Amino acid sequence: MSAPNSKIPAAIALVGSLLGVLFATYSTLDYSNHLDRRLHDIHCSIIPGAPVTSAGDACRAAMYSPYSAILKERFWGGIPISLFAQGAFIFFVGFSLYLLLAGARAPKQALSFFGLIALTPLAASLTMLTISLVKLGSVCTTCAGIYTSSTLLALGALLGLRNLRAAASADGQQANMRPNVQSAERPQVPMLFPLAWLLALAVCTIVPARVYASSMPDHRPYLGTCGGLKNVREPKSLLHLHTAEPVQQATLFEDPLCPTCRAFHHRMLAENMFDKLNPTMVMFPLDSECNWMLEEPLHPGSCVVARAVLCAGDNARAVLEWAYDEQPALTEAGKSGKTAIEGMVGARWGDSILQCSRSKDAQKKLNEHLHYAVDNGIDLSTPQVFLDGKRFCDEDTDIGLRYTMAQLAPQVVK
Amino acid sequence: MNASAQNSNVSGSNWLPSSIAAGVTVALLTALTLSVRSNCVAAGERLTTPDVAKPKVATAEDAEAKYCTPQFKDVLQRVLHSCGLMNENSRRGCKPADVKTFASISDEDFNALFRPLKDRGGVVLFETGKDDLDEAARKLIDERWEDRRGARYFLVVGRASTTGSTEKNRALSHRRANSVLFRVKELTPDDPDIENKVGLLWLGSEFAQLDEKEFCAWPNSGAPTDQAGAQGDKVAAKGAEKCDDKAINQSAFASWVDCRL
Repeated sequence: MSAPNSKIPAAIALVGSLLGVLFATYSTLDYSNHLDRRLHDIHCSIIPGAPVTSAGDACRAAMYSPYSAILKERFWGGIPISLFAQGAFIFFVGFSLYLLLAGARAPKQALSFFGLIALTPLAASLTMLTISLVKLGSVCTTCAGIYTSSTLLALGALLGLRNLRAAASADGQQANMRPNVQSAERPQVPMLFPLAWLLALAVCTIVPARVYASSMPDHRPYLGTCGGLKNVREPKSLLHLHTAEPVQQATLFEDPLCPTCRAFHHRMLAENMFDKLNPTMVMFPLDSECNWMLEEPLHPGSCVVARAVLCAGDNARAVLEWAYDEQPALTEAGKSGKTAIEGMVGARWGDSILQCSRSKDAQKKLNEHLHYAVDNGIDLSTPQVFLDGKRFCDEDTDIGLRYTMAQLAPQVVK
Repeated sequence: MNASAQNSNVSGSNWLPSSIAAGVTVALLTALTLSVRSNCVAAGERLTTPDVAKPKVATAEDAEAKYCTPQFKDVLQRVLHSCGLMNENSRRGCKPADVKTFASISDEDFNALFRPLKDRGGVVLFETGKDDLDEAARKLIDERWEDRRGARYFLVVGRASTTGSTEKNRALSHRRANSVLFRVKELTPDDPDIENKVGLLWLGSEFAQLDEKEFCAWPNSGAPTDQAGAQGDKVAAKGAEKCDDKAINQSAFASWVDCRL
């Protein structure tokens, strides 16, 4: 337990703030690297200074999620919230350093202000942690670094507040016992000071974001320049999924066991964009059981699930979304063999869909989907998104999704 | 101590910590701002003048089976080009003289090319002088047509036995190939692209006659479908007591071809 005038709380807050700056810097750097529309390795470690990695699905999922940035419609990728965190932590570095150096001479208002305002990063972290767990189902380790930093900062601030109260209580007792002796009171500052500190916090938080927004490259010339669908006949077996308020035609090539498709679909739902599409769904399973374009199955079992989707009729969307929701378990089952994954399909959707998915008719339909992909000469990857026949570049389906949609189909983001 | 004295205390005793803290904050903020700007500008430069080409992604393509040897593809391409399949607005199908000219290959070598298609295709058998399909023939065509997988072209090669005149046999083999095409059109009534999928050759009795020793063992419409293709499963052609050179050439061979051209 620290003494009333101990510098330990400020030191804890300073360490937390410095770590916060570090982790937020990694996160911002990862984000800004992707402004060149290429795929980069990212930081994904709780250990400060750990190198970038091509792994780290949770960190990438967080980065691509709708919650990683604001103003995504106005700027390609939006303004990363880690940038605001960086600025705020810099302010807290300065403030906690001041409290550390000033010690007992720090004004009471400074400690009170710090005690309250330094809790906001923790509040923001708790909010983001909840979103990560509830919406994304995972926690990125770099984000966890920021959450830990916020906790340290808040701990320092609360300890400082507690010490302030303890000191005030001690002063009160001393004044009662020896009324003629003046206690070593902390200095007072005018009420204007907290306002000035708030202003400084605002400047620290907003200026980097403003600079980011004004320095980022213009992505408009690159949107929709990645090819398109050819004028080939659409097989009748292509799926037309039901959505709530369709205002924009879209053709989607998806694989039910592809993690990127799953993330994309969830992103579309979270951004309230999927239900504004009138989607034609082309099943494009990357599984050599039915897809002759692969020598080895990339997503074993996805042909089985794709056929089940095709057999589901009006429930096609439900089966597809079930496949996305249950993707980790289905992927494991797919690796165990066809029987295991068929068992999961049968258990959830019943014998009629299972039998249908084994039929020649379902295979024929799926084959038509695959030939439709060939006829259009599309890339051997999923997902692929075409709006009115114009293809979204891959980078425009992740962090640039909302901006691209706002540019090419503004009615979808309204 | 009054307020002014306290303020004086603040400004007098706290200026050093506050100056250091303010200096550190401004320095960090400046560094952050410059770094953000520099990263954004660098990304913009990489975008406009990429130093590394984007990795190429494979595109969706038709199947390419092992039997698609350069020689096989060469012959197939010549045949398909010459028979109007790969050229718009040209006539359809190939008569024996065309095949001889464009394939530039001996009878034996021509038939050898199709050997890998033994289990992929099927031989539709006809009665002597006839070109109509019976139930078994339709079933065989239906099964082969449905089993498309990744193939782009469906090849039909009509033949006639040596019985009768050359001219009659040319016409007969043409009608036999067409019978298969018409059945395929019945199966896919709303595919306007069907003409670009099905390649027709009719060889009459002049070119690449089938040898009964080998080809009577191929899956054919004279055999129960589930037994078709079994080794040594010689089945009599329609109207013939046994499968011989005559019976096996009263036929149309139909198969998807898993080659990219």
